[in-house]
Amino acid sequence: METSTVETSTLALSAVDASSRRSFAERYRGFLFGALAVVLFFAAWQAIFLIVPFNPLFMSKPSLIAAGFVDLIGSGDLVHDLAVSAVPFFLGLFAAAIVGVPLGIVMGWRVRVGYALDPLMTVFYASPLVALAPLFVIFFGVGVAGKAIIVFTLSVFPFIFNACAGVRAADHLLINVVRSLGGGERDLYVKVLFPSVLPYIVAGARIAVGRALIGVLVGEFFAASEGIGYAISRFGDLFAIDRMFGCILTVMAIAVILTEGIRWAERAAFPWRIGQ
Amino acid sequence: MTAYIQGRNVNLTFRPPNRGPVRALSNFDIDVEEGEFLSIVGPSGCGKSTFLNILLGLIKPDSGELSLHGKKITGPGSDRAMVFQEFGLLPWRTVQNNIELGLELKKVPAAKRRAIAARLVELVGLGGFEAHYPHELSGGMKQRVGLARALAMDPDVLLMDEPFAALDAQTRDLMQVELLRIWREAKKTVLFVTHQIDEAIYLSDRVMVMSKRPGRAKKIFAIKLPRPREYEMRVMPEFNSLKLEIWNTLKDEIAI
Repeated sequence: METSTVETSTLALSAVDASSRRSFAERYRGFLFGALAVVLFFAAWQAIFLIVPFNPLFMSKPSLIAAGFVDLIGSGDLVHDLAVSAVPFFLGLFAAAIVGVPLGIVMGWRVRVGYALDPLMTVFYASPLVALAPLFVIFFGVGVAGKAIIVFTLSVFPFIFNACAGVRAADHLLINVVRSLGGGERDLYVKVLFPSVLPYIVAGARIAVGRALIGVLVGEFFAASEGIGYAISRFGDLFAIDRMFGCILTVMAIAVILTEGIRWAERAAFPWRIGQ
Repeated sequence: MTAYIQGRNVNLTFRPPNRGPVRALSNFDIDVEEGEFLSIVGPSGCGKSTFLNILLGLIKPDSGELSLHGKKITGPGSDRAMVFQEFGLLPWRTVQNNIELGLELKKVPAAKRRAIAARLVELVGLGGFEAHYPHELSGGMKQRVGLARALAMDPDVLLMDEPFAALDAQTRDLMQVELLRIWREAKKTVLFVTHQIDEAIYLSDRVMVMSKRPGRAKKIFAIKLPRPREYEMRVMPEFNSLKLEIWNTLKDEIAI
């Protein structure tokens, strides 16, 4: 049995190989065009300031940023700041997933819980919660706890709302199937609701990552003595615009890597979704 | 003497939140013998699928008596299993794990589950596809999985709610032949809901025609064609006269 299955899948793979024997440019068209736009953006930036004179106290250009970036790496400051910021970022994000997903699933499945919590959660999700950051710093201090709580507050809502939407979109037929085969409430959660919701959670995680980054940066803008947000605001205060941009571009790169990483992980983790 | 499956005066009215109440079944009576293959045909919305869901235990009737083997039906039970029109396979489970679903819910040990699933995979002709996901299967194969999942519960009664309606005509014909083979081997009582009169005649011992909503049994036809049924029987004069007779009973109930 095993062997025959393996053989079929190898056959299927080689068939795909044959049909996709296209040129490199054709295959990576999407990526190439995207990369071209990024390169052109930086080239244009550089070109403008080759002609237009500028005050390096207020503006910078890619060549200077690159030099500053090399300095930051060489001194080890950037790596240190990133490591410091990573702790509250991942703690807050992890806690948000742990709390948000079950809460969202229950909100989606238990109609009355949904009615009760929906308005409140919507208010929180829609409002600019970063405004509360100073309050959290007063309550929980400038250390990991304060920042992690800001991150949590910002990133928990995408998990809640996406899990909730996932449950509401779950195929009712599958619920009937499990019920008819003798499954109870717990089985519905484990065998139908949670797997139905997983892709929605991944989509929520991509939004949450963006909001969590904002949380870390804002937390460190307000009160910190280290961390990437602190570095950005300090270089700004010192008019070291090249280094400031170096840090900002690093954060942007990390944001892209994390959200794209999640997208890639989704494809690897949920093979059944490929055909849908 | 109560019949194997016996329904008496089963009534059900749906009360949707934003519309008026809909009477789905009105004083519905049914008697099914053990081991029988009974088909139910009727106009759309006549309550035939609703009745299967009541028998399955997913819907409670407003009033009336419904029993299996003399035992009143109060909820889902492992003596009944349903094959659904839209298959109802869990997309994140392989063929093997879909077939094992009901056994898992019954807390059957893994080794025994695997043995049962392996036997059923062969019975429904899916050998070699155990590790495939539903999206990799054709409609006919999906419904074979649906059938295997129901049979894995080893139910006394197999409920089939338009199981082949989502399949193309040729696949449907083949699946009918397969179903008769499996029915012969598994020896189950089958209640089969369909819109197709041919299908009902070809498969069944008896065919019940239901009235339009609120549904009740209008007439029951005994199908005296010999078994095993051959595909050629579909073009025999007896088959066609039965088909006409059933159609004449059914057509007054259909509103377009």
